[in-house]
Amino acid sequence: MRQSEDAGLFKGYSIIPGAFDELISPQGVPRPDFLRLLELLGSRSPDEFTRIQALAERALLNQGVTFSVYSDRRGTERIFPFCLIPRLVSARDWAHLERGLEQRVRALSAFLDDIYGEQRLLAERPELRDIILGTSLYLPHLRGVRPPGGVRIHIAGIDLIRDGQGTFQVLEDNLRTPSGVSYVMESRILSKRVLPEVLEQARVRRVDHYPAKLAETLRATSPEDPERSTVVVLTPGPYNSAYFEHSFLARTMGVELVHAADLYVEDARVFVRTTRGPRRVHVIYRRIDDAFLDPDVFRPDSLLGVRGLMKAWAAGNVTLANAPGNGVADDKAVYAFVPDFIRYYLGEEPVLAQVPTYVCAREEDRRYVLEHLEELVVKTVDEAGGYGMLMGPQSTREEREDFRQRILAEPRRYIAQPRIELSTCPTWDGATRQVVSRRVDLRPYILTSPQGSWVLPGGLSRVALRAGSYVVNSSQGGGSKDTWVQKETA
Amino acid sequence: MIARIAEHCFWLGRYLERAESTARVLQMTGQLALDAELPPEQCWMPALAIFGERPAFSARYGEQAESDGEAVQNFLTWEEGNFSSLVNILFSARDNARSIREVVSRECWEVTNELYLWLVGEVGKAEYTHSRYAFYLHIRRMVQLCLGLSDSTMLHDTPLDFIRLGVVLERAGQTARLLDVHHHVLAGMNQGHLVVQTALWLSLLRAGSGFEPFMKSHSGRVTGDAVAAFLLFEARFPRSVRYCLEAANRYLRQLSSPEGQGPLGQESLACLTPLLEHLRPESLVGPEATLHALLTRMVEGTSELCLLIAREYFLKTMPLGAQLGAQVMQG
Repeated sequence: MRQSEDAGLFKGYSIIPGAFDELISPQGVPRPDFLRLLELLGSRSPDEFTRIQALAERALLNQGVTFSVYSDRRGTERIFPFCLIPRLVSARDWAHLERGLEQRVRALSAFLDDIYGEQRLLAERPELRDIILGTSLYLPHLRGVRPPGGVRIHIAGIDLIRDGQGTFQVLEDNLRTPSGVSYVMESRILSKRVLPEVLEQARVRRVDHYPAKLAETLRATSPEDPERSTVVVLTPGPYNSAYFEHSFLARTMGVELVHAADLYVEDARVFVRTTRGPRRVHVIYRRIDDAFLDPDVFRPDSLLGVRGLMKAWAAGNVTLANAPGNGVADDKAVYAFVPDFIRYYLGEEPVLAQVPTYVCAREEDRRYVLEHLEELVVKTVDEAGGYGMLMGPQSTREEREDFRQRILAEPRRYIAQPRIELSTCPTWDGATRQVVSRRVDLRPYILTSPQGSWVLPGGLSRVALRAGSYVVNSSQGGGSKDTWVQKETA
Repeated sequence: MIARIAEHCFWLGRYLERAESTARVLQMTGQLALDAELPPEQCWMPALAIFGERPAFSARYGEQAESDGEAVQNFLTWEEGNFSSLVNILFSARDNARSIREVVSRECWEVTNELYLWLVGEVGKAEYTHSRYAFYLHIRRMVQLCLGLSDSTMLHDTPLDFIRLGVVLERAGQTARLLDVHHHVLAGMNQGHLVVQTALWLSLLRAGSGFEPFMKSHSGRVTGDAVAAFLLFEARFPRSVRYCLEAANRYLRQLSSPEGQGPLGQESLACLTPLLEHLRPESLVGPEATLHALLTRMVEGTSELCLLIAREYFLKTMPLGAQLGAQVMQG
């Protein structure tokens, strides 16, 4: 870094060669959009930063903003590790992302409508048949069901990374129950509390209207008059790791948080048991997986489900957000074809890039993958949270041999991608009291109603807290940052 | 409101009140041990008896340990195996609040959460070691803060009614047991130790947060009968059995208001009505009438009422119904 910025908090900050740093250019100067912020933050002393970081962490703990909850009755709850140095996105970059995300959700919706309807795509491209229908996430008995309001992907969380050139690329689509949005809002509350002047001068777009927008979106897809509709959030319960978020959303939308046992179905209509008798429910934002929704249709052993719920949904009497069966569109093997879907259904070129993906179900791809295991990241299509992965460049011979056998046994379950150099962001390291560069990703949230899509200006920036790590998942030592999307300059 | 949530509200109220009451009794007993020249077992035994923990304590530490104030306090504060210990009560209060995080106000939840984290963290333990009085005081204040916040930051609607119902029913039971245990001890003492007796009655009033209110309404004249009557019948004192049961009656009437379907809540009200009719000084007149009998009736009646409320309002269909709390719904 140049002398002028050399003082204060960012003193000695160094970037990782080959990685795109969100704040500093390869020449060591701040990117022009963010110069102001860097000065404001840089003027803080390490002492001061240690103090406000501790303050923020205590606040999170006392507020119970925790993610990993007890397996035993008194197990420790942890706060989602959190770094106060925000991640910035310029107005220009955001406008690009917004267009791309809206387009992607539109194409994925069209794909889902088709695959649960006519299946025009499969007729025209039979080679995709096995890949698309071969996932357990496709639910064939739901074919022909049109969800109330016509919306399937009410809430999407689309994971993005930035490659070495700074180009945003889609890494993964989450169209079932994407989580994390509560941390976006809690992080912002903390930023407001501990960095008020910085936030004010950085001209950041607000995120706190998300719950109101979500409630509006959910109501708009109700089978009845939105004004007279009852919306609930369905949770597996307090022992679920995302319980904080479930209660957060119910609380901030002003709707009830229900457990499956609070609901029942009669005459293909859903009711909630209250102290004053039953009350009809019209919209369910469910945070439990498809497989647990209804023991009549899915797992008979599920205690989380509501008997008859799928029948009520198919009859058009209740909205389920997101619609059951969406998993087929966020399957990691199907992901490889999303750019094709955009062209096929929309007749448009994809706005957003995505990571080249080898689908092991295809012979040609499989051969390449097996020959290049050392260079590739192999992922199991039906595992999340960074599990079931082979990081080729860091793997041992035994690990590679293990994956080779697995791929040969069940090729449909594996895909492979080149390792992308994730972008980095200055991150506070409490142990050394220094700002260090750590890799980040970004999960924006897109809400869709019959009137169209809306992208929350911000999102969950997850950060790999360990030096050298690429793994940003909270279950594997990742943390989060507040994402500051800049306002357009007037 | 959802039946499961009503149940969590009710238990949140009960556990908060129980925590406050436990901390208060321990705090006051510690003070009494300094004031009154009493044999230690007469000091600490009542603390165990009020919470129904004498048998469990004796089984664990032997009867002679009842004179060991530290053992008693440790048992009622930290003992994991004791459902009535503060650490368990506050865990349960917090667990209930967390389960209905979207129902209670943010302020109320944060105080409950903070109190529990304080208790099990370094600070709470250090306070217990170095400043016992401040330790109990902190718990009492935080609980009061939480109840005050629930009143001033939540909608005055069904969820709050259930929290309050839990508070007043727990409180009625606690006051009745407190009085019963102390009265029993005092009745067994030789007459004539007026100073000692007075110290005990005063301590009883303090344990019921009733010292100043009593003095105000009795111009400083302390007698056993007057203290008992005050804790039982005083309609203006928020911890008297009558005040609590009258409040319960109000909440139950509100909950069963005509817009409901069917005779919901009628059994609970039918159970409460005769209790209220007995809560008058005349009930202590007559050859068969004793204070102990009346108190027993109140304790048992309150407990029965809680079971009826559970049956009528919580529907008992959910697996959560078997939560920890149900096991300590003591008589």
